[in-house]
Amino acid sequence: MMHMAQLAAPSATDAPTLTTLPAETLALRDTVRAWANERLAPHVRRLDEDDAAAFDWDLVREGHNLGLTRLVVPKQFGGLGQGEFGVAVALEELAAIDAGFALIFGATMLGQAPVLLSGDPRLQARFLPLFCGDEPVLACNAITEDQAGCDLLIPENAQFAQGVMRARREGDHYVLDGSKKFITNGKVATYATVFANMEGHPGATGLTCFVVMLDRPGVTLGDVADKMSYRSCLGTEMHFDHVIVPEENVVGGEGGGVYINVQQMNMARAAVAAISTGVARGALEQAIEWAGKRVQGGMPLRKHQFTARKLAEMSAKVDAARMLYLRAAHLADNEIPAPAYEPAVAKLFADRIAIEVATEAMGLMGARGYLRDHGMEKRLRDALGARIYEGTPEVLALAVTEAIYDDDDDF
Amino acid sequence: MGVFTSKQQATSVFTTLFGILLDDERFASTVRKENLSVQFFHSDPDLTVYVSADGVWIDETPSAPVISIKMSCDNADALWSGRLLMPIALATRKIRIKGSVAKVIEFVPLLQPAFDRYPSIAAQAGVGAGA
Repeated sequence: MMHMAQLAAPSATDAPTLTTLPAETLALRDTVRAWANERLAPHVRRLDEDDAAAFDWDLVREGHNLGLTRLVVPKQFGGLGQGEFGVAVALEELAAIDAGFALIFGATMLGQAPVLLSGDPRLQARFLPLFCGDEPVLACNAITEDQAGCDLLIPENAQFAQGVMRARREGDHYVLDGSKKFITNGKVATYATVFANMEGHPGATGLTCFVVMLDRPGVTLGDVADKMSYRSCLGTEMHFDHVIVPEENVVGGEGGGVYINVQQMNMARAAVAAISTGVARGALEQAIEWAGKRVQGGMPLRKHQFTARKLAEMSAKVDAARMLYLRAAHLADNEIPAPAYEPAVAKLFADRIAIEVATEAMGLMGARGYLRDHGMEKRLRDALGARIYEGTPEVLALAVTEAIYDDDDDF
Repeated sequence: MGVFTSKQQATSVFTTLFGILLDDERFASTVRKENLSVQFFHSDPDLTVYVSADGVWIDETPSAPVISIKMSCDNADALWSGRLLMPIALATRKIRIKGSVAKVIEFVPLLQPAFDRYPSIAAQAGVGAGA
């Protein structure tokens, strides 16, 4: 039976808006916006056209100096102590200029999340200060495998997962064997949160999360994926050949990996929705500029009713996407476990409208929209990327309907 | 029947447990400095436990808590005994928390003395003897 509380809560009036952002978040947004416009934007085309394995540590260092590698690290470890709300707002600003750069920092936070979620003071004290030094340190989250994608994301599918990376306990340590695929930041990270299945458990039913320093013997990195877009961040294969990990690096206990991963996803989806919103906003702003100065029929394009209608629809979509991700981020900052419904809805909508808005914006610019010189075609490629990671529309639809039919109480 | 045989037994155990936490210098000073308060909503048996720097209250809410935590008494026993890990408990919704996640992340590590002391407190009170 459909649970009505799921549909009613929270009301629109509970949801924060950009006009009610806390002063600290507003300051963060303005700082990131200024840096992205002044420092990142001039490099976007080069970052997009560079070799697939090229990585701009100088720009990452600038982002690190702004605090982007330690946004969610608690202040006691030297971080900024931001929640999902601040993270999402910052990532929208980066993605409005370059989605790949937003993902560099987003993937680092994804690698930090299990350590934060563990509530384990020893793990936190060992790993979180790494991100607060003078030099930038990045992290990654290694879950996806060649044969197992959704089967590692959907708990009900865990029993069917094939060929999952293995973990075996030997005395006071674990031994990891297997490979991971499409791991964002894998090539440039200092540590990875790695998910492996405990020996003796079918499929991925014994999935366990480990913090693995990537300079451990037995860790090798494969080629960087040659992607359609998001080329400023690197996706890599990772191989673990008899890698020894001390028992104190287990996060959430043996078999706790599926649940940690679900938690991470529910938190991360609001952030990815913000990235898609940023991509859409970037396309919209470029279309607005073009339609304001391009004259046809004796007047700017924006004065033509058909163009005005398009711009208005695009603007409404971007605003709606932002409201949805802010609601999701707000809830993720105030509920543990993070809700499943709101982040999934936010990502489902933002991913879709990013493609729609970028497509319309390209159409408005005509031939220029199709040329690399103007950057709009890159925005469309970026828009298509976010539809795949952290949950395809099909996976998100399952999460949404599960939540709709859930009969949990209203605590 | 759950591991607690009566509300009186649960009240005694949790009052002792959080009293010990308030005697812990790090816990008490952080809770006072950050003005933290937490209320546990337990079921089977039903009781609430409110903890702030000023003391422990059973079935009373002196002011709105900064953090609210909901779990059954059985899950509380498993958690404090170390049989139920916090990340798994949260992900399986055996424990649900409302309040600023940043505050929760700051608060949870402070609970370590409770994990250390709970087994002996529970054993002394005969928790689980009737299960």
